[in-house]
Amino acid sequence: MRTDDLEALLDVLELRDGMRVSFHHHLRNGDAVMNEVLAALRRRGLKDLHLYASALFPVHTEAAACIEEGTIRHVTTNYVNGPVAEEIARGKLRGEFTMQTHGGRARAVLQGENAIDVAFLATPAVDAEGNGSGIYGAAACGSLGYAVEDHACAKRSVLITDSLEDFPVPGQLSASHTDHVLRLPSIGDPGGIVSGTLEVTRDPLGLKIARMATEVIRHSGLLRNGVSFQSGAGGISLAITEQFNDMLAATGTQASFFSGGIAAPHVKALERNLVEKLYDVQCFDEEAIGSLQRNTGHIPISAGDYADPTNASRVIKDLDIVILGASEVDTGFNVNVTTDSYGNLIGGSGGHSDTAEDSKLAIIVAPLFRGRTPLIQERLFTKTTSGEHIDCLVSERGIAVHPANDKLAGRLKAAGLPVVDIETLMQSAHAYTGRPKPITRGDAIGIVEGRRGDVQDTLYRKAG
Amino acid sequence: MARSYLFVPGNVPRMLQHAEVFEADALIFDLEDAVSLEEKDEARQLVRSFLQTHPPSQPAYVRVNADALARDFSILDGLPIHGVVLPKASIQTLASLREQLDGEEWSVLALVETPSAFLELSDLARDPGVDGLILGGVDLRAALHAHPTESGIELLYARSRLLMAARAYGIEAIDTPYAESDDAGFETDLKRSVALGFDAKCAIHPNQVPPLNAAFTPSQERIREARRIVERHEQTGEVRFSLDGRMVDRPVLEEAKQLLERAKRYKALKKEADDAD
Repeated sequence: MRTDDLEALLDVLELRDGMRVSFHHHLRNGDAVMNEVLAALRRRGLKDLHLYASALFPVHTEAAACIEEGTIRHVTTNYVNGPVAEEIARGKLRGEFTMQTHGGRARAVLQGENAIDVAFLATPAVDAEGNGSGIYGAAACGSLGYAVEDHACAKRSVLITDSLEDFPVPGQLSASHTDHVLRLPSIGDPGGIVSGTLEVTRDPLGLKIARMATEVIRHSGLLRNGVSFQSGAGGISLAITEQFNDMLAATGTQASFFSGGIAAPHVKALERNLVEKLYDVQCFDEEAIGSLQRNTGHIPISAGDYADPTNASRVIKDLDIVILGASEVDTGFNVNVTTDSYGNLIGGSGGHSDTAEDSKLAIIVAPLFRGRTPLIQERLFTKTTSGEHIDCLVSERGIAVHPANDKLAGRLKAAGLPVVDIETLMQSAHAYTGRPKPITRGDAIGIVEGRRGDVQDTLYRKAG
Repeated sequence: MARSYLFVPGNVPRMLQHAEVFEADALIFDLEDAVSLEEKDEARQLVRSFLQTHPPSQPAYVRVNADALARDFSILDGLPIHGVVLPKASIQTLASLREQLDGEEWSVLALVETPSAFLELSDLARDPGVDGLILGGVDLRAALHAHPTESGIELLYARSRLLMAARAYGIEAIDTPYAESDDAGFETDLKRSVALGFDAKCAIHPNQVPPLNAAFTPSQERIREARRIVERHEQTGEVRFSLDGRMVDRPVLEEAKQLLERAKRYKALKKEADDAD
């Protein structure tokens, strides 16, 4: 079916209470699709749906309303902040709340563990045959990596677009998996699609951390032709990417690939011939979207090809270095990126746990304290990523290396870098913040799932 | 001796608690221009409390107020500081400072920022209590009715004059901070400081510190050349010889020795095997 009428489409889909409906997050905080579809489902009086969204952002107010009213009973996602996070943290969700990883979600979909009844997939451009692409159209977002498995495996897949093209659209979403096409006047606000997090940090603390992380890479033994690298879209990560590019250029080294979310500094590396390929599961800015159109070495990939742990040819199995953030780290190097130290839901694993496990060198970069809250805690509020997969923590006051990686510690010490044990780092933060009082947890509200479907940790409400 | 002196406003707790991590060779905790009049007392208490509980690992100075020395010194007693920076330095303010020091053997860096200070510069530089001269370019420019230029011509005489005085009396010559926010201008200004011969430069933003330290650290190329000159002298005892077509005599030899000293101080001396890196 090809229609401009959402209500007519929903009639055809014969949605019932309790169904699992999926959405992707490539339109990020500019997404209009999830709100529009969920509002229609709520008006129809549907109950107990399972919201299966790869990520949830502040723009997703309708999902919060659906939780409040019981339209949505269960939520499974890889990342959440904004009103949905607040609603869940207040204990308003009647059913189960599950946080997955990007790789774990793809695995669960492909293996049928998380069967999707209907995938509502925002698609910036769709052609007459039902092929979908993210690199054309008014709401172009680039790679649609997190939509591919949903599109292929859902019982019914709906591509939702505001740009129906006459010409064939080469893209990641093949017409063979498309059941319906819905055209809406607009699928999103381009201003919100390109995230506001893409400024390379000018903060002196962030730059100090970035410089030290770059030195860790320089002396890690992994800097050689063919090195592979991944970094996120945070200010420190982008600064490291720029410095890593300069280091590649200065040492005459060519990297094999950069992977994950792609932004302007990654594109610069490709266009300076510092890296052979960009394996792009998600574009973070317009520069990355434009690059997908003009650079053959810039290759969109699916979440499954990116990080599914059961996919033997997944990209990150060959990943050398990954730069990751943290809201909390404990003295066993376990990392929290799901909640803050007080239990507020602020994000989630995304690809954190996937890349930490698969990479040869997983580097956490974070300031030792934010305000009066220390980074390193004796006990995490939530464990997102297991410490055994983390190699080192780079902070502004020193580098803590996981005890299992004494070879790395030796290399860094020999290079004169400030290697200190993690307890010492914790104490140096406490000298400024004081030792925090233990936080009392409230009721359990959900689980953090590992990439193979194992339970990594339980999520709790804030006490009081 | 330092390459970088980072100004830290005394009234901003976040800046105080992070000041130590920015790799400046020395810190100047500021009670003067960075702090408004109504915040002076609060800043004094904040700086005192901070330095008592978190003494930084690098030498710490306090920039006091020339017109409120007694109040500033009332909070400095017993603090683990290396010295004080005297703004609006003159023979008169130096005498007032000496009274406040009351035998305390703190280092004094004189901030030369008025035309009259230049008329007394030799006396300031030869004062046994003064360990260095800092050029205060912003105030001086205003006093001279001059404007900042890309070439820095408006401060060239002041910079050169201050350097002469510092060199004549064997004390540190520290250049004025770059007060604008553009990176290119900072880089040009920094190159000028190094080329003129300053030992160090002040920084008013932590991001200025790493390039500043790098600029005042001898390059590996210059270290290699200095090593060859000194080694040739040590092997042959000659003080006048030709090396790769360049004439080496005593001043060149002395310059090479000084450069190696600086390189050693800033941990820039690598083993021979590392030089190929």
